[in-house]
Amino acid sequence: MSEKPRNSRIVQAAQARGVDKAPRPGRTTGLGRIIIAVYGVLALSATVRALYQIFFRDFSEAPLAYLLSLLAGLVYILATFTLSSAKPGAWKLSLFAVSFELLGVLVVGLLSFVLPDHFGHDSVWSYFGKGYGYIPLVLPLIGLWWLFRNRNERHV
Amino acid sequence: MFALNGFFIAGAIVCALAVLLGIIATIIRRYPDDWALIATAGTEIFLIVYAVAAGIRQAGGEAILGESWEFWGYLLTAAIMPPIAFFWAVSDKSRWANTVLAVSGAITFVMLFRMEQIWHVGVVA
Repeated sequence: MSEKPRNSRIVQAAQARGVDKAPRPGRTTGLGRIIIAVYGVLALSATVRALYQIFFRDFSEAPLAYLLSLLAGLVYILATFTLSSAKPGAWKLSLFAVSFELLGVLVVGLLSFVLPDHFGHDSVWSYFGKGYGYIPLVLPLIGLWWLFRNRNERHV
Repeated sequence: MFALNGFFIAGAIVCALAVLLGIIATIIRRYPDDWALIATAGTEIFLIVYAVAAGIRQAGGEAILGESWEFWGYLLTAAIMPPIAFFWAVSDKSRWANTVLAVSGAITFVMLFRMEQIWHVGVVA
């Protein structure tokens, strides 16, 4: 990796004060950080929404959909942490988490059209993530692409 | 939609500036741009001013049509974003640090829009 020019005064000041950390693997820098950030936002909104649905709305209205919503949120949280982690095994765990999200949005998305009574309620996965601008459908694909682009780091 | 007001217009301009500088810096810089960083700090300063003003207005009896816990939840979440983006950008040191700053500005705008909806329209969705 070539040395990048560092001409930001704020960055230089931060480095001078020792705020800067050791170099990280490529998976967690640059574009990867943006993917992680989007995962973080989705993790937060999906989890908080699911908790709101479970505690403030009638849970018996759609228990399955709300629990799936919560599960989706928790796996998004897992993905956010594993994607940003440089620890050994984080790559593989990220692969599982991201694949699970893709499977979830495809299966629940399909079921929400086939069985709208059970799966048609607002959740992060229903109708292929329509309520979230289809980000739940697109993000796992980008995540998988990014993971396999940086697969050489899996043993790091 | 809600009636345009000074807080919303000021916030929209501050956020637009952060988004714009973030996008431009992504294109022309290969390191975090100082002006994009400063603009992101600006969105945080706006949110703090907005929070103080909202506290004073609500304490003074100005009606908020939506749920007040929802409003403050959004405000707290919004206020957490720019510092994360800022320190993320400072430690990332790549072209994409600027994109993170742009995204942070966009998120702040969406959050402000929602807060204004909660305040002036009430329950929306």
